[in-house]
Amino acid sequence: MNLVAQTIVDGLVLGGIYALAAVGFSLIFGVLHVINLSHGVLVLIGAYLALVFSQTLHVDPLLTIPLVMVVLFAIGYVYQRFLIQYTVGRTPLGSMLLTFGVALMLQNVMIWLFSPDMKNITPTYAFASFHLAGLAFDAVRVSALVASLVLLCCLAFLLKFSALGRVIRATAQQTLAARLCGVNVRHVYALTFAVSAAFAGAAGIVIGIILPFSPADEALWTLNAFVVVVLGGVGSPAGALLGGLLLGIANTLTAQYVGPAFPNVTMFLLLVLLLLVRPNGLLGNAFSASR
Amino acid sequence: MRRASLPAVVVVLACVIVLAAGPLVLPPFYVRVGQLMLYSAGLALAWTILGGFAGYASFGHAAFIGVGAFAAGLVELQLSGLPPALQLAIGLVAGALACAVLSAAVAYPILRLRGTFFAIAMLGVSHVCAELNNNIDFFQGSLGLNFPPVAPVSVEPETFFYELYLAAGLVVLTIAWWIQRSRFGAGLLSIREDEDTARMLGVPTERYKRMAFVVSAVLTGLLGVIYAHSLGYITTDSVYRDDTNLDLIVYSMLGGMGTLFGPVVGAFVLVFVIQVVLARLLDFHLFATGLLLVIIVLAAPGGILGLVRDFWARRRRDAAMPAE
Repeated sequence: MNLVAQTIVDGLVLGGIYALAAVGFSLIFGVLHVINLSHGVLVLIGAYLALVFSQTLHVDPLLTIPLVMVVLFAIGYVYQRFLIQYTVGRTPLGSMLLTFGVALMLQNVMIWLFSPDMKNITPTYAFASFHLAGLAFDAVRVSALVASLVLLCCLAFLLKFSALGRVIRATAQQTLAARLCGVNVRHVYALTFAVSAAFAGAAGIVIGIILPFSPADEALWTLNAFVVVVLGGVGSPAGALLGGLLLGIANTLTAQYVGPAFPNVTMFLLLVLLLLVRPNGLLGNAFSASR
Repeated sequence: MRRASLPAVVVVLACVIVLAAGPLVLPPFYVRVGQLMLYSAGLALAWTILGGFAGYASFGHAAFIGVGAFAAGLVELQLSGLPPALQLAIGLVAGALACAVLSAAVAYPILRLRGTFFAIAMLGVSHVCAELNNNIDFFQGSLGLNFPPVAPVSVEPETFFYELYLAAGLVVLTIAWWIQRSRFGAGLLSIREDEDTARMLGVPTERYKRMAFVVSAVLTGLLGVIYAHSLGYITTDSVYRDDTNLDLIVYSMLGGMGTLFGPVVGAFVLVFVIQVVLARLLDFHLFATGLLLVIIVLAAPGGILGLVRDFWARRRRDAAMPAE
């Protein structure tokens, strides 16, 4: 009983982080209809930037989140405006291949800069843990989870209540109508991409403090993001959270009760099953209301 | 069914004869590069029956390479006394059967998905097959499987497999050609252009998609069996490769999506560039491949054949309307 509860709690903690890592991917998919295969690279750039910043500035890695998000916001804006914009509205394969090519290039650059070895960010409270109701919690994992949830809430508020969020939602629902109302669609696309890159970077920091990472991990995080989005639904932080939690629980339960080598099998079986039963994810497409 | 144009047949046959004579003059390194080029071209053609003609771009065809190879290997393990040529033949049949069964089983659920979702679900199929193969002891995926040497003693193994790949590639090309010119091929094309309209107009889309999927899978599996023999020893990692999954799409993109000869051109060019031009730049390998992808997408969305076609169209237009 205790083991079951502990496994589920571990899965939920992991799931919160998956959700944060996927939410940017989900936003781009929902608004630009682009599968961003370089999402995992953006996540890793966030992790490496946090490593560099926290070492040079001697601060807690979680405090570097605003700085890293600003840097990735800029990178995302430029990346969308000068590369991805050319494939928006064409075949999905074009943008997939373009972002995959960029992912390969950036992965190679990261190998040159940081070596292909595993790295990790170690905060001062790395080995602290506490017990609650008979279950063990790592301080690191809990702070990572809290950071994820806070950031997801921020994004949800941004999309729901700010002017930028309104424009993003309008563009996603009816691009033409938004344009007729005076929305600069290219600019909004680039801003959306920038926001999503910033959240990918923040996710990278959170991942960096709980798991070791290396440049080769980018494909894993892209794939995870895709699965989370398909499970939960496109475009909304709530969908990403639901999908992430599901994936996290499925992963830890499989690793515990079926075998440590099988999480991918259950992950993809779950994915294919869900695609067949609910092709739009559990919460549906957040932007498709007026389509 | 339309008839094949005579000049095209002659050109293809001439190319095949030149290619077949290749090992006589080329040094061994280039024979091996040639092997890889022919193998990739065969795979690209098998992929394009589904991905190019019907527009269902699969991101997981390595599943069929692996399943074909392992099915053949496990069957041949039981037949160690037989002559090698017979073993290869039985292995090919076993691999084709396994792929046919797997693809027919997977086709029903997975072909209901479209576009990106189909592509990624196929990636899932490939990963699930690989992990099951690796983790269930019966399949010997992590231990590895040995294949009997099938090349006759009088022929160099490199030359033998080169010619075998050429023959297999020619078989796939003929089948793809035949499909493209048949009623079936026209049906696949209508699925690519507008599946719902095609169904409304009475094209049996479900059956056509499933047939294309199975044909594509079986041909991929046959090439996988030959590939496994040319390696001599395989593990899960050497046949279920994600770079194969990706390369199959890239070949078609580079050559020209949906055309018959585009995938062949794309496979030849990309394999040559990676194996010969970039072979000495191992550190830049990922970067250069990525850059190539970006350039293809931005500069030549129609692939090499698309560029050639545009060039001819412009020539013809200029000839028709001379400048002032």
